[in-house]
Amino acid sequence: MPLYEHVFLARQDLSQAQVDALAENATKIITDNGGKIAKTETWGLRSLAYRIAKNRKAHYVMLDIDAPAAAIAELERQSNINEDVIRFLTLKVDEHEKGPSAMMRRSDKERSSRAERGERGDRGDRGDRTEFRAREEEVE
Amino acid sequence: MARAFFRRRKSCPFSGKDAPKIDYKDVRLLQGFVSERGKIVPSRITAVSSRKQRELARAIKRSRHIGLLPYIVK
Repeated sequence: MPLYEHVFLARQDLSQAQVDALAENATKIITDNGGKIAKTETWGLRSLAYRIAKNRKAHYVMLDIDAPAAAIAELERQSNINEDVIRFLTLKVDEHEKGPSAMMRRSDKERSSRAERGERGDRGDRGDRTEFRAREEEVE
Repeated sequence: MARAFFRRRKSCPFSGKDAPKIDYKDVRLLQGFVSERGKIVPSRITAVSSRKQRELARAIKRSRHIGLLPYIVK
């Protein structure tokens, strides 16, 4: 069976228990259609980069799924109907990530080891520098 | 620092070993390849190889769709 990654966003005014119930519901849809869930990851309440359906924040949940295409179709159909799910993204992947995804790693590293992140920290600065360079190119 | 190495062509930040993996969930990584306005920075400036730039653009667009990155910053 193909592997999928499914991320969905739940409305901000739901409680964590309700979000867990939504994840539970999604799991049930998949298992009922002959698939299985490899991993469930809750990213918690995060602020959105822009407003989605009048929400400024949303609960993020990611599911690693191993299921037939029909199960995914059913999950997406039900997600479209459910008003508590404001957005979702399903991707077919070659393999599931082992261990926690980048989203979870990020918050861990910020607290514990700053040194390991050094290289990526530098990359953040690139924004300014590139614009500086871009301007220079225009001058040429 | 940027000026001193101005002419030197940098290598692609996603090639070579221990290069970061392009992933739509890694907001912090993607943020470095997006301008202050929220636009994708061209590869001629960031020196990302064209193959990786395609991957990167796709990841940024996915990230935008689920509200992790902005489409525009006003």
